[in-house]
Amino acid sequence: MAAPEIDLLEIERGAITAPAGCGKTQLIAGALSRHSKSKPILVLTHTNAGVAALRGRLDRARVASSRYRLATLDGFAMRIISMFPARSGHNPAILQLASPGSDYPAIRKAAVALLEAGHLSDVLRATYDRLFVDEYQDCSAVQHALAKVMGDALPSCVLGDPMQAIFGFKGNTLVDWDNDVHATFGSAGELGTPWRWKNAGEEAFGHWLLEARKTLLADGSIDLTSAPKNVVHVLLDGSNDHAIRLKVCLTKAPTADGCVLIVADATKPAEQRRFASQTPGAVAAESVDMRDLVEFANAFDLGHAQALDRLVNFAALVMTNVGPDDLLTRVKTLRAGRARKEPSEVERAAMEFAGKPSYAGASAVLAAISKDAGVRTHRPPVLRGCHRMFQACGSHDGLSLLDAAVQVREQSRLIGRPLARRTVGSTLLLKGLEADVCVILNPDVMDSRHLYVAMTRGSRRLVICSDKATINR
Amino acid sequence: MARIRVVDIRNFRCLKSFTWRPSSGINCLIGSGDAGKSSVLDAIDLCLGARRSLSFSDADFHGLDVSAPISISITLGELDDSLKSMEVYGNYLRSFDAAAGEIDDEPESGKETVLTLNLSVKNDLEPVWTLISERSEAQGQTRYLTWSDRNRLCPTRIGAFAENDLAWRRGSVLTKLSDEKAETSGAMAEAARQARAAFGDIAEQQLSATLGIVGTTARELGIDIGTQPKALLDAHSVSFSGGTIALHNEAGIPLRGLGTGSARLLVAGLQRKAAKEATVILIDEVEHGLEPHRLVRLLQSIGSKETPPPLQGFLTTHSPVVVRELSAEQLTVLRRGKDGHHARVVGTKAEIQGTLRLFPEAFLSSSVLICEGASEVGLVRGIDQFRTAGGKVPMQAVGVTLVDANGCDNLYRRANAFHSLGYRTNVLRDDDKQPDRGIEETFSKAVGAIFRWREGCALEDELFASLPADAVTALLAHAVKLHGEELVGAHITSASGGKIALAACRKAVTPETRTCLAKACATKNNPWFKSVTAMEHCGREIVGPALAQCDAGFRAIVERIFAWIDDGRA
Repeated sequence: MAAPEIDLLEIERGAITAPAGCGKTQLIAGALSRHSKSKPILVLTHTNAGVAALRGRLDRARVASSRYRLATLDGFAMRIISMFPARSGHNPAILQLASPGSDYPAIRKAAVALLEAGHLSDVLRATYDRLFVDEYQDCSAVQHALAKVMGDALPSCVLGDPMQAIFGFKGNTLVDWDNDVHATFGSAGELGTPWRWKNAGEEAFGHWLLEARKTLLADGSIDLTSAPKNVVHVLLDGSNDHAIRLKVCLTKAPTADGCVLIVADATKPAEQRRFASQTPGAVAAESVDMRDLVEFANAFDLGHAQALDRLVNFAALVMTNVGPDDLLTRVKTLRAGRARKEPSEVERAAMEFAGKPSYAGASAVLAAISKDAGVRTHRPPVLRGCHRMFQACGSHDGLSLLDAAVQVREQSRLIGRPLARRTVGSTLLLKGLEADVCVILNPDVMDSRHLYVAMTRGSRRLVICSDKATINR
Repeated sequence: MARIRVVDIRNFRCLKSFTWRPSSGINCLIGSGDAGKSSVLDAIDLCLGARRSLSFSDADFHGLDVSAPISISITLGELDDSLKSMEVYGNYLRSFDAAAGEIDDEPESGKETVLTLNLSVKNDLEPVWTLISERSEAQGQTRYLTWSDRNRLCPTRIGAFAENDLAWRRGSVLTKLSDEKAETSGAMAEAARQARAAFGDIAEQQLSATLGIVGTTARELGIDIGTQPKALLDAHSVSFSGGTIALHNEAGIPLRGLGTGSARLLVAGLQRKAAKEATVILIDEVEHGLEPHRLVRLLQSIGSKETPPPLQGFLTTHSPVVVRELSAEQLTVLRRGKDGHHARVVGTKAEIQGTLRLFPEAFLSSSVLICEGASEVGLVRGIDQFRTAGGKVPMQAVGVTLVDANGCDNLYRRANAFHSLGYRTNVLRDDDKQPDRGIEETFSKAVGAIFRWREGCALEDELFASLPADAVTALLAHAVKLHGEELVGAHITSASGGKIALAACRKAVTPETRTCLAKACATKNNPWFKSVTAMEHCGREIVGPALAQCDAGFRAIVERIFAWIDDGRA
């Protein structure tokens, strides 16, 4: 193996700026596999999905699991305060996470206080060789404080890219790369080899994206005319924009098994789903909170007179061409014995459910609809989740539908998202995913960071819909 | 790595309840025979040792009461990183405040991080090892050390025989000297195969009848074992277990054949070399099998003179050589009190150290009588010998030691030193010179009453005033025998201002001659009986036999002294 650009094991305290696709994960995996001391390296990141993704990468790189401990920042904070409750002095109720909105901040605060008092410095040094924090740009101020105080006890290296910090919103101010991160850890370098594109044989494209990153960092404008041939500009004319965008959504991947990511307006989830339902073969990326499933679970009641209506309308939410109104009318007619035509598979399942409502019956209705001619599931994770939820309720007495939905949601949170061949979503949903082609439908509503994240999703081709050849910031 | 900070023993053998904070270096336990010294060592060994199972019996429970579980807790400090790992032991890490001697359930900034190990045995006699913390108990969690950590912590015990440590067995000191391992299994398997080949078919001739029956029966039953069964050596039965590799000398003789002392000395020396890995060493009866000079080498080989101490040693001894060789803070008196056992470090003060060097035996006894001078020591010993000849139990047998304070000024310094360590202590002094009244009163109050000759009297005054006439004559005769007529006569003449001569004293015992002799006997130069030997003779041959005829006041003092000595038996 060639020497790494930067040796993380040599860094006592430092921050590494890692533009998208420049081998950050490989850098971590490489350092962990070279690490030969007896104590493991503590690797922290933000989300469970991030942990799952990193663990997958490390397993594929055959890094022995004894060399590292991988956790989310919040998970680690919960571990230490529950391990040393008296020193932390927190209210034990916060660990139940009954009200996550206030419990997580309380947990983080307690963990920082526990570490700042120095009670664990000795133990941390005895337990871990050093600390890596991944996706550091997503740290909130209190998470930064946590990493900072851990950095006083352990050699530490934080990695991230301020240009990919897109999870800041009101009430969750993220670290400032210069004023917080570099000031605390010092700069330990910036990655400059666009591996994702180099590996795809499109190195020039990668370098152009690195240049674009610099331009965006300075809030400059991107000139699409000077871009390499990998970048395709689709001109919007202002009258047929939706039709043009739908056509662009069909862009083919240049390779046989290639994947396409379609980035729509992040502020309009309904529109993302509309593109997914109107584009053959596309699925919508789902948010980890599975809100539609939880809402359906909350409203659905087997004993309610409207149960079938709710079920069929939910089906229409996750599948295309369901025609819920026609189906419901037909069932009414059939049940009244006034129908002349024999019931279809779907209608039979629906009638059975209407006559004797059960979770298994509800699942059967959804399964029949999904197999019906012309019907296509454009939100498979939600449909799958719904089946699992019905199954869990059918086999466990007393489990409420809502509890089952929450279980399903938490499981899928841990598992992460497998990538479909053609996925429609927003930068928030697609960050961290990589494909061959990326299509950006609304670049003009995105800020520099969102645009940069979107532009760097495809390794071979980037398609941008805009009414002009220059993207102004 | 890892030193014992706190030992807490409940209901184990003679120890009902015992809490002890040993020092991080040598802890040599002294105390009377049944004080429980070996039980303390056993408790440490059982709790820290890396055995997969132990067999307990009802006799291991205090007072045979199996309803009160045995519990041995050991809190370990100076932990290495793997024992402090949050990932492995996070819920069990605690802190220890050495200054206050207190354990807190969670680590704390500025305090030492510790682990508490516990071995419990209930009436089912099954030993259960766990790590102890209040929070894990609240959460219903239990765990113990990993096997590798247990093996690393396993203390070396040098018992009567040290042979276990002279072979590469699990936990033996040889395995802790380096990471090297001898690969034996391949060679053993090969040897087994060769043995099988060498043995060949010898058995077939010896067992031919049996083989014939087996072959016939098998054929009758249609079981296919070939034409004829064979009797071969079963390769699996040639088994070699742990301890296969042992130390041998140049001539190939196993080192376990070394003398007891040499083997113990060698193992102790090896343990010193392995101190980086295993810090705790347990030695029963450290003097066992060793001459004084080799005993001193053993103590030094485990670092008795080194700072900081390389090993944490737990020793027991009954040897004055050990007491004299160690420093006062390396000696701990173990004693059974009304509310359980107590351990007290002998001390760090200079006067204790001096007493230790001069009277090591006293620290190994249970009662100490501090005598003002050599003549008191001699007198008490002499009278005791007389009583012993008459069938009484000698005072050594009841654990009484006499200590010479060498003058009135040292009396209470020594007496208080012993008394504060829990020894049954008393004082016997002259009254011609008085010690500080306040100090004496405090001490008297603590022990009941002290022993002293009557007002203004030295021992010589008491003897010549109280003994019957023939005993006074005998004392004079013994003085002449020791010092010659010339010197004794000169002393008498000088003491009486020329009025009385030796011959007169020999002829008759009068109040005048008694006074004169008492004065003559205690001259500054050449006092007649101011040595242990001289006064011991007087006590045995003269005072003892004459005691019944003595003046009642003197007799009462002597009888009180022996009543106190006999009390030590209780």
